[in-house]
Amino acid sequence: MKEKEVEFIGKITAGVTHEVNNVLASIREISGLLTDILSITGEDSFPRKEKFQTSLQKIQNQVQRGVKLTGQLNKFSHLSDNDKSDVDLNEIIEHLIFLTERFARIKNITLQIQPSSKSVTINTNPFLLQMALFNCIAYLLNHLSNGSEISLCPGKDGSKYSVNIICKGEVIDKTSFFKNPSTSEELLSLNGIMKSLNGVYELDETTPGIKIALIVNG
Amino acid sequence: MIDIRVLIVDDEEELAATIAERLELRGIKAQTASDGDAALSVLKTDPPHVVVLDLMMPGMGGLEMLKQIKSLKLNIPVIMLTGYGSKEQSIEGMNLGAFDYVIKPCNLDDLIAKIHEAVKNK
Repeated sequence: MKEKEVEFIGKITAGVTHEVNNVLASIREISGLLTDILSITGEDSFPRKEKFQTSLQKIQNQVQRGVKLTGQLNKFSHLSDNDKSDVDLNEIIEHLIFLTERFARIKNITLQIQPSSKSVTINTNPFLLQMALFNCIAYLLNHLSNGSEISLCPGKDGSKYSVNIICKGEVIDKTSFFKNPSTSEELLSLNGIMKSLNGVYELDETTPGIKIALIVNG
Repeated sequence: MIDIRVLIVDDEEELAATIAERLELRGIKAQTASDGDAALSVLKTDPPHVVVLDLMMPGMGGLEMLKQIKSLKLNIPVIMLTGYGSKEQSIEGMNLGAFDYVIKPCNLDDLIAKIHEAVKNK
């Protein structure tokens, strides 16, 4: 995607998340006010008071869920603010998992991080890195069977930064999966992204399960 | 113990009014202003003990408003209401002399605690 287009999408998304956050803040305060009023209302003077109280709590819980979602979406919209910035690999993976968990859940596949014990920070393009990781996850979701597990493991070896994506589970079409991934249409954009990131990706079928390694030079 | 009076400045009028109403239920007198000009007029005529100020407002933005409050030399602590991506603005606000900040949607108990702290430190 071209820089200007990415910037445009980022700005619009950031603006809308601000507005949605204000809507959620209002709902939270209004339901909070109703809870306040109920709490000073006598038991006998308000029929089904308890039902109202539990329903208001459910509204508050949903607001909390909405706030978390819009917060993460806002963070995503700011990924394109800078061409390069310091990126904590643990953080960016956790963020991506939060945003993509739904796609995995639909396929009944577990998506998780095995965080690096030490913080691994790389100076790179955060938007492209997210996109590369997403491409790998999307590729795996298309080829893994129900009940599989995908683990993302960040690491660093000298000046090379890596994210190993290790999968447990059956590949539906193992021959086509490994046959010629570099020319696979699904991975065409990943090739271009890795080039821009000054990195490569490798598919490894020798390890148990499947492993995709994203290697970026720092 | 004094009756604490708070001015909430936020262009989200319904949000400001509801926070004000909830504060009132907890014994804190609160009035609202939906823009910088309305807020300045309250500050000049009936200064509150604390200002709760949204940073993202159309027209006179929150930081500009904060500068104006400070220039009036009324010694009124300002608690900023910040949203997403306002970290830099919050830091700038603290450097300009804001008392503290809370993130929207804020926890009312946290806001009240900060209001009390601001009055105590005044």
